Amino acid sequence: MGILRLSHVDITVPDLELAKAYYTGVMGMDLTEETADRAFLKCWDEEDHHSLAVRYDPRVGMDRFTFKVEREDDLDELEDRVERYGFAVQRVSKGEEVGQGESIRFETPSGHEMELVHDVVKVGGRTAKVNPEIPFGLRGIAPPRMDHLLINAEEVGDACRFYMDVLGFRLTEQLLGGDGHPIGMWMERSHSPHDLAVVSGPNGALHHFAYWLDDWDHVRSAADILAYNAIQVDVGPTRHGVTRGNTIYFFDPMGTRNEVFTGGYRPDPDFPTITWTEDNIGRAVFYYEGEVNERFVSVHT
Amino acid sequence: MGILRLSHVELRVPDLELSTAYYTEVVGLVETAHEDDRVYLKGWDEQQHHSLILRYAPTYGVETVAFKVQHPEDLDELAARIEARGIPTKRLEAGDLGPGSGTTIRFRAPSGHTTDLVHGMAQIGNALPLHNPPPEPPGLVGIHPPRIDHVFLMCEDVDEITAFYTDVLDFRLTEQIVADDGHQLATFLERTHTPHDVAFITGPQGAFHHLAYWVDDWNDLRRAADTCAFHGVRIDAGPTRHGATRGWGLYFFDPAGNRNEVYTGGYWADPDREPVTWTEAEMGRAVFYYEGVVDQSFLTEHS
Repeated sequence: MGILRLSHVDITVPDLELAKAYYTGVMGMDLTEETADRAFLKCWDEEDHHSLAVRYDPRVGMDRFTFKVEREDDLDELEDRVERYGFAVQRVSKGEEVGQGESIRFETPSGHEMELVHDVVKVGGRTAKVNPEIPFGLRGIAPPRMDHLLINAEEVGDACRFYMDVLGFRLTEQLLGGDGHPIGMWMERSHSPHDLAVVSGPNGALHHFAYWLDDWDHVRSAADILAYNAIQVDVGPTRHGVTRGNTIYFFDPMGTRNEVFTGGYRPDPDFPTITWTEDNIGRAVFYYEGEVNERFVSVHT
Repeated sequence: MGILRLSHVELRVPDLELSTAYYTEVVGLVETAHEDDRVYLKGWDEQQHHSLILRYAPTYGVETVAFKVQHPEDLDELAARIEARGIPTKRLEAGDLGPGSGTTIRFRAPSGHTTDLVHGMAQIGNALPLHNPPPEPPGLVGIHPPRIDHVFLMCEDVDEITAFYTDVLDFRLTEQIVADDGHQLATFLERTHTPHDVAFITGPQGAFHHLAYWVDDWNDLRRAADTCAFHGVRIDAGPTRHGATRGWGLYFFDPAGNRNEVYTGGYWADPDREPVTWTEAEMGRAVFYYEGVVDQSFLTEHS
């Protein structure tokens, strides 16, 4: 019932060919569809049409992010709740958007366009449904699936109140400033440490989106692949204090920050929220280094 | 809504002291309560009071399997559905079943297992502070898995129990091993969007195949195998890969003869994910992907 998980992130890129080359060749995603100015990609174990859409635009940025709801009637209920909160909701009909059926779109208090969808075109994973082989010889980093995204907001608390009170996200961890003001909040729907997180920054901005890897060995091999392909690594491999996950941050060739992520824990809906205080911000974000680099705080798209 | 995940399992052991020593020092679970005939244990990262109860008995095997429901009203709704299937249920209030126990609906599943649905087990917290916690508490011993993952049970009619779990309890089928004559040899069922929270394989009614705790990765399986070997624990199979669920596992036996597993990997299963089918001819790789054959002890030893 309600929101199930992150479905896809739609970003803008100034070089569509370069984006396709990077996301297929280095990240190892599969190209599922192309239009004149867009390309649609998915990870090898994902069965839905795409988890990333890239659109040509002179500016690097994010068009919107989309979450998948469990049942078709969840769209009606959530549309009603968003409208009662005072935000206009746009219905997108089946056939208007590539790879999916009806959806709803609305602007959130953090200035992002958010979309909810249920009906997604199924293209299937890489493995068979009868006696499947473990996939072999995958290209690039080859994460099995998308995991979460982190966005910026000027007022983190207000932004998250909307995601929690209206959309049903649950708070797993928070980073509080010395005055008690939230600097970062991590929220989940999928019983993982986070599906959506918000940290202080300009409204409407994307900090990063993250792919799931199965373990730390896969994180290490991802670092090797990034280095070989001369991709600019931002931070890692390292550990987060928040979410307890292991990670590498890096930039796609156009400047959008990517992450590969593993680990974490499995919170029940009654999980008690973990609080990080500002004097521990370094370990909260990068547990091994104990400090946050300037680029991590200031660069977003 | 509905069942959230596997809550806990109660196992019978003929030597409570020896089994407690094994589960705390070799497996590395945390003891949370002790009665004359029962010991309560949990993984270090679990917030709830227990995920394993050891009960003194002259034999081994499973006493109860319990699932956690998300909302208190789920108990009434599921009880009504179970009753409508012609199976009587019994309601027990919080505390009735011992330390930490929540409100419980108890019934006997068609597989012959006493099965509980629970809401409101005592929350006692994991071993970490809620402010600025380190990723792991110091001083953990043994394998120290963070949490329970799934339970694997046996029954005579896997088709029947699978229909009960999917129709009445809203579990979703992720994978199945189908015999040449079309009946289900084994099924894998989930509520947590993982490959399985409970699985059934053909065998005696009410029998127990194994209880699995989660570990974070393949390196942990290697360390778990070292820990078992060091303590003279009998390893049944692994570390190896499963074809079904795509996870990695290590099987071993507790001192009473109940099979344990530590498990990692797998995948995310959306509710509408089409199930995977393994044919009887490929059962070896379905169970042990690297070996390609299922050893006799895996099929014949249960408790």
